[in-house]
Amino acid sequence: MTQFVQATLYGLLQGGLLALVAVGFSLVWGVMNVVNLAHGAFVLGGAYVALELHDALGLDPFVSMVPAAAVLFALGYLIQRYLVNLVVNAPIFITLILTFGLEMVLENLLRVWFTPDYQSIPTGYAQDSLRLPGDIRIPYGKLIAALLAVAVTVALVYFMRRTRTGLSILATGMDRGAARLMGVKARHVYALTFGIAAAMAGAAGAAEGAVRTFSPADARSFTLFSFVVAVLGGLGNMWGALYGGLVLGVVMSWGSQLLSGTMVNAVAFALLVVLLAVRPQGIAGKAFYASRVEV
Amino acid sequence: MTLVVEDLHAGYGRVPVLHGVSVSVARGDIAALIGPNGAGKSTLLRAATGMVRVSRGAVRMDGRDLTNAPIETIARAGIAHVPEGRRLFPGLSVRDNLRLGGWRARNEDMGTVLELFPRLHERLDQVAGSMSGGEQQMCAIARALMGRPDFLLIDELSLGLAPVIVEEIMARLGQVAAEGTGILLVEQDAGHALEVAQRAYVLENGRITVTGKAAELAADPRVRAAYLGV
Repeated sequence: MTQFVQATLYGLLQGGLLALVAVGFSLVWGVMNVVNLAHGAFVLGGAYVALELHDALGLDPFVSMVPAAAVLFALGYLIQRYLVNLVVNAPIFITLILTFGLEMVLENLLRVWFTPDYQSIPTGYAQDSLRLPGDIRIPYGKLIAALLAVAVTVALVYFMRRTRTGLSILATGMDRGAARLMGVKARHVYALTFGIAAAMAGAAGAAEGAVRTFSPADARSFTLFSFVVAVLGGLGNMWGALYGGLVLGVVMSWGSQLLSGTMVNAVAFALLVVLLAVRPQGIAGKAFYASRVEV
Repeated sequence: MTLVVEDLHAGYGRVPVLHGVSVSVARGDIAALIGPNGAGKSTLLRAATGMVRVSRGAVRMDGRDLTNAPIETIARAGIAHVPEGRRLFPGLSVRDNLRLGGWRARNEDMGTVLELFPRLHERLDQVAGSMSGGEQQMCAIARALMGRPDFLLIDELSLGLAPVIVEEIMARLGQVAAEGTGILLVEQDAGHALEVAQRAYVLENGRITVTGKAAELAADPRVRAAYLGV
């Protein structure tokens, strides 16, 4: 029983962080209809920014979420504006090829700059645990990472619903032509959306850096998890990313109790297949973006 | 202060639709563009607001050349287009749709348009896609007016709406024009449009075939037979 509760708690914490990893991926897919296969490389970019800041300035990786987000925002904005925008109206297959190539370039640049070795960002407290009754332990690192990740994800949802910029992003995602008729500059909105998505990935990466080891090869698994979370939650639905992240985190955590390490990914995809068969619109499943119109 | 479309040629890909169409609307006036299905009425509006490429001719607003300018540039210049099918943001509330209408002008004051269409007041928090056709049309026009445009182009306002609703909306458009906005109404159902308009054009097969005062057109036996079903 203790083990079950422990695994569930771990899963929820991991899931909160997965939500932040995936929310940008879901946003870009929902708004621009671009499946960004380079998303995982953005997450790692954030982790390496945090690593560098830690080595150079001794900055705590959770504090580094802010500069990591800023660096990745700039990178994402520029990549969208000068690269992805060239093909954003092309069939989804073309954007897939482009972002696949981008992923390879970014991942290998990380290898060149930071070596392919596993790295970690040491903190004085991340490995210490909060002890709860019933012999349940929660490592502080995972707890802080999950709470910050959920807070940032929720803040993003409010940003999208409440602010002028967020509203223009939602509108452009629903009907680009109509949004342009409102005077919204779609190109700028797309670049901004991509930048925000990359910033979320960067912040998530810095937090991941605090709680686990990472290497450039992890880019792909971050992309894959983002894919699963985005589909679980419903595309472009940012609350959905939160539900999707939590469900995936818990399922993977249970899976790791019962199965060997590499089988956990199989559990994640089994979950995806079952969900696609049973409830293809995702958990949160409002057909928010169902009425997309291209102009 | 006029919006002028001059000798406009436009089409889709290699298929030409408009063959040299000239139309103009002055601020404060309502002009009606009537014609059968497939004549190119919607294409004319789409070309005027940058949604379709113009291959020859010009779109000018108060002397400023807007031919083939990006959609958002034309919108920002003060020309609002209520497109075919209304194109509301169906998943957003009426309030958010109106906010987006005022997005460019940073206009959050909904008082004026809600006075014009009081029915929208009760619907503010309702999802736009769930309203009736008439309410959606009101919302689309209100959204366009939130940007305080100098010119308002409306595509097939009456399509699928009950005549009493069409009359209600048309009456409101008279008020809007009286306050200084130029309105171009594109209609297949010509009756109501000719009642509120000062000037009218008949577009057939991509060419203007009849032009004149709306009242004269409404009395013209040819127009009556073809478009008023009399």
